[in-house]
Amino acid sequence: MKRRIASIVMAGIMTLSLFGCGSASPAPTTDTGSANTETKTETTTETTQKEETTETASAGSDEQITLNMWCIATESDSNRHAYEAAIAEMAEKYPNITLNWEAFENQSYKTKIKAAVSANEMPDIFFTWSCAFLGDFVDAGKVYCLDDIYPEFASELPENMLGNTTYDGKHYGVPTTMNIVGLFANMDLLGEVGYTEVPGTYEEFIECCDALKAKGIIPFGCAGKETWCVTEYLESVIEKSVGADALNDIFLGRATWDNADVGAAVDTFQALVNNGYFDPSGIGLTNDEVKNNFMAGKYAFYMNGTWNCADFAANEEFLAKVKVAEFPVINADKAKLGQLIGGPSDTLAVAASSPNAEVAAKYAMELGKLICHYGYLDGCGLPAWTPYGDTSAVNPLTQTVAEICANADSFVLFGDTAMTADDANTYLSYVDQVYGCLLDGPQFIEGLAKDIR
Amino acid sequence: MESYTLKEENPVIKVLIDIFLVIWAIINLFPIYFMFTFSLKSNEEIFGANIIGLPKEWLWSNFTTALHTGNMALYFFNSLLVTTLAIAISIMAAMMACYAITRIKWRFSKLTNAFFMLGLTIPIQASIVPVYVVMSKAHWLNKYSTLIVPYSAFALSMAILICTGFMSEIPYALDEAARIDGCGLFRTFFTIILPLMKPAVSTVGIYSYLQCWNEFMFANVFISDSAHRTLPVGIKALSGQHTTDWGPIGAALVIATFPTLIVYLFLSRKIQASFIAGAVKG
Amino acid sequence: MNENNVKNEKRKRKIEEGIAIFVFLLPGLLLFVSILIAPIAVSVYRSMYDWNGFSEGTFIGFDNYVELFTNGSIKFINSLKNSLILAFFSVFVQLPLALALALLLGRHETRKERTFLSIFFMPVLISTVVIGQLWLKIYNPDYGVLNRFLEAVGLESWKHVWVGDVKTALGSIIVPTVWQYVGYHMLLMFAGVKGVDLDLREAAMLDGATKWQVDRYVVIPIIKPIIRVSVIFAVTGSLKTYDLVRILTEGGPFQSTEVPSTLLENMLFLRNRYGMGSTISVMLIILCFAFALLISAAFKEKDD
Repeated sequence: MKRRIASIVMAGIMTLSLFGCGSASPAPTTDTGSANTETKTETTTETTQKEETTETASAGSDEQITLNMWCIATESDSNRHAYEAAIAEMAEKYPNITLNWEAFENQSYKTKIKAAVSANEMPDIFFTWSCAFLGDFVDAGKVYCLDDIYPEFASELPENMLGNTTYDGKHYGVPTTMNIVGLFANMDLLGEVGYTEVPGTYEEFIECCDALKAKGIIPFGCAGKETWCVTEYLESVIEKSVGADALNDIFLGRATWDNADVGAAVDTFQALVNNGYFDPSGIGLTNDEVKNNFMAGKYAFYMNGTWNCADFAANEEFLAKVKVAEFPVINADKAKLGQLIGGPSDTLAVAASSPNAEVAAKYAMELGKLICHYGYLDGCGLPAWTPYGDTSAVNPLTQTVAEICANADSFVLFGDTAMTADDANTYLSYVDQVYGCLLDGPQFIEGLAKDIR
Repeated sequence: MESYTLKEENPVIKVLIDIFLVIWAIINLFPIYFMFTFSLKSNEEIFGANIIGLPKEWLWSNFTTALHTGNMALYFFNSLLVTTLAIAISIMAAMMACYAITRIKWRFSKLTNAFFMLGLTIPIQASIVPVYVVMSKAHWLNKYSTLIVPYSAFALSMAILICTGFMSEIPYALDEAARIDGCGLFRTFFTIILPLMKPAVSTVGIYSYLQCWNEFMFANVFISDSAHRTLPVGIKALSGQHTTDWGPIGAALVIATFPTLIVYLFLSRKIQASFIAGAVKG
Repeated sequence: MNENNVKNEKRKRKIEEGIAIFVFLLPGLLLFVSILIAPIAVSVYRSMYDWNGFSEGTFIGFDNYVELFTNGSIKFINSLKNSLILAFFSVFVQLPLALALALLLGRHETRKERTFLSIFFMPVLISTVVIGQLWLKIYNPDYGVLNRFLEAVGLESWKHVWVGDVKTALGSIIVPTVWQYVGYHMLLMFAGVKGVDLDLREAAMLDGATKWQVDRYVVIPIIKPIIRVSVIFAVTGSLKTYDLVRILTEGGPFQSTEVPSTLLENMLFLRNRYGMGSTISVMLIILCFAFALLISAAFKEKDD
């Protein structure tokens, strides 16, 4: 039964369209039709490159090679176990390759990797975020292109999962897990106002929030100190008002921010704030604090990434209360269920400066696949690679998310990942001001249209 | 025990001053209590359930986590080594520079001093990438000296500034006397000035320690193998991208701080004694 | 003959001095120029470029400097204002308090004084991560000590989301920063106070001066160089303040508590605007240096 879900997931993911991005030129959005033709062209390239690949393989089996890797899977990161398990398995498979890997803290890693790229001191394999973050490195010519090696893995790693790491039609990244924004609900609190399910339509949803408010329960918890937490709410509201295509075009710079529908959607979001659905203290809290408040039963809803599933599932008492659902549709004319925020963002990439780049590329591919596999089993996120083996042990929350994704038809990557670093920060500062009600919808779109090139 | 008392102070004022001192002391001791209890709690208690009380459940396991998986013992040793050597280098270089600036009369001494003061103004973030590029070209990364040298350079300006303050309190008559006795400049420095600078050594030592022990930016960028990692980076590495267990971080902070506090308490008597011993009869 | 001897003597002395100056300055200068000055030169150069840190940059002259002051979304002026407010509180609240403590504890030499001195210095030794977490608990809007206290004494209307409210956020950074480093300046000044000759004090006391008068007219003038050092540290430290801002407010709400160092880091490593980041650091260096010179000049004027 549970194994079937996994196959449903993949069936779903294979057919849906995933939006790609790229700094130089956006990758084509692939529907099933074009994906097929692309696979064909790849088979032809595969034959021409076969010689090289076999060479690599033989080189890999004789020599002793040391590869260095940097990642952010620190001791308390939810992906730690997946990394350890995957690396152990790789060590067994390739006794001639020694992998030295180091884990760094998330925020400081951004500084570290950028400094390393500047000084050309990158390790052979490094963790990166997809889209703009990796794109800047690709533009600078510091990343090894994976097109030679990809065909070997094409059957396990669907082309449409590579959209966020494809630049100028070339593949540069190995995605591991993907995550979406989920609407987490504390069913105990919803039960107090007579709901046994997460409301499915926006009207019901608002009624539910009103009922919660009347009962003295705060509907939403959101960490205002970390603006990305606000975007988890705001982007969902915008997407469910204007539709995935429109939002994605704006994020990728194909359309201007000056879009009245977006302005109206921002006003819708702000109405939620003004109606007092959000915890007023939230503006001074960090995500750690808000998440703990939610788990302690202070909020009815918490919109955040599905990476939280593992944590929620680890707390048995809380797991019994929590459900995850998709945010309801606000404007049915333009948006529909199945349009989600998220996508594969955690990525491994290979440095162009690596002396063993070819070996590293193959290694990174296989490692990424294994990290994805174990990460999925641990509930850290959804698989970017085709799942295999027994997945029945995956926690129920992640399985629900997998079902949501299976029924999804489009994903829009988180705005701050999709946009270039400078634009993303401008965007975040505007989001901040919307949450603080310093700007309204029209001012938001006008300002962004002006400040983002 | 009072060294001199001629006019008796108003007793009311005395009591008020004492009360103020005690209250201020409690305020300043509180963080230590907070840190200690913090290190023994779970996330649940840290965020909301029990923020400043004693832990309901004493989680000593936080310490085991910090020591074993967090590898704090090694990082502590690394930090200790790097900090000690950096302080030693900066003090020596500062004393020497200071002597040349304050005790020898030459045309550009003021300018040189001002030049060194530039160091106080440099934000550490700005120099990371240029220094990193140079060090990587020189294949000088992932060593203890990769951190020791920049740390001593960054501590230098402050050390010189503090030393100048102390050195200018030493009467010039001493130099003159030494000169008349036939002492060269080098001997004057080593036999007369250096011994009188003892209080400066302890003061500079403490302030350089503060700069080096908690330094994060350089340590994060320059050191990529965990064998040479220092405490601040090690502690930071205990938090994850989306999930952070704060208890072990508290424990690691205790491991990083308590030895310092104990050494400080133990040494503070000596340090303070050195202030008095160094007092120069004018 | 004699005159010649004296001349020779003088020349010998000059040469000896020259060698001594060179030898004594060498280690310091070597460290200083290679690690600190050379990167500044690179920063000055990079501040003229539109450069993201890794690909090819384009030379744009002083455009970054112009943008720094004209582009409202960078908030440089505001961040500078925040730093100067902090510097003001450091100089006029923190330093007097530190001086008072140093003078009080410097008068006698008993176990009591020694214990207080050690305790007052402790917050400086504790990592800002701990201090930051502690103050977050104090400021927490729901269970924070401050709001609970206000509730208990019936001042509910004074309750705030301290670090999330534009009106109170900067104050919430200033209070812990000023508090944490009182001990820092106190110890520096204490060392100076202890350096004051006991005979001088006794002589003044014999002349009928009170302890306050001794402090005011004997001790303070002597430790002036150290007070000057403290003022310079306080001001440049405020301009470069970073840690507690990151932990307490992250520059928010709405970038109202951004300080130059947080802006600088955002530009260098988050926004990939290395050129603009260099511009900010050059501005920061110039400002800090100008303040340090100003303070030194101010102290000299008083001396004259």
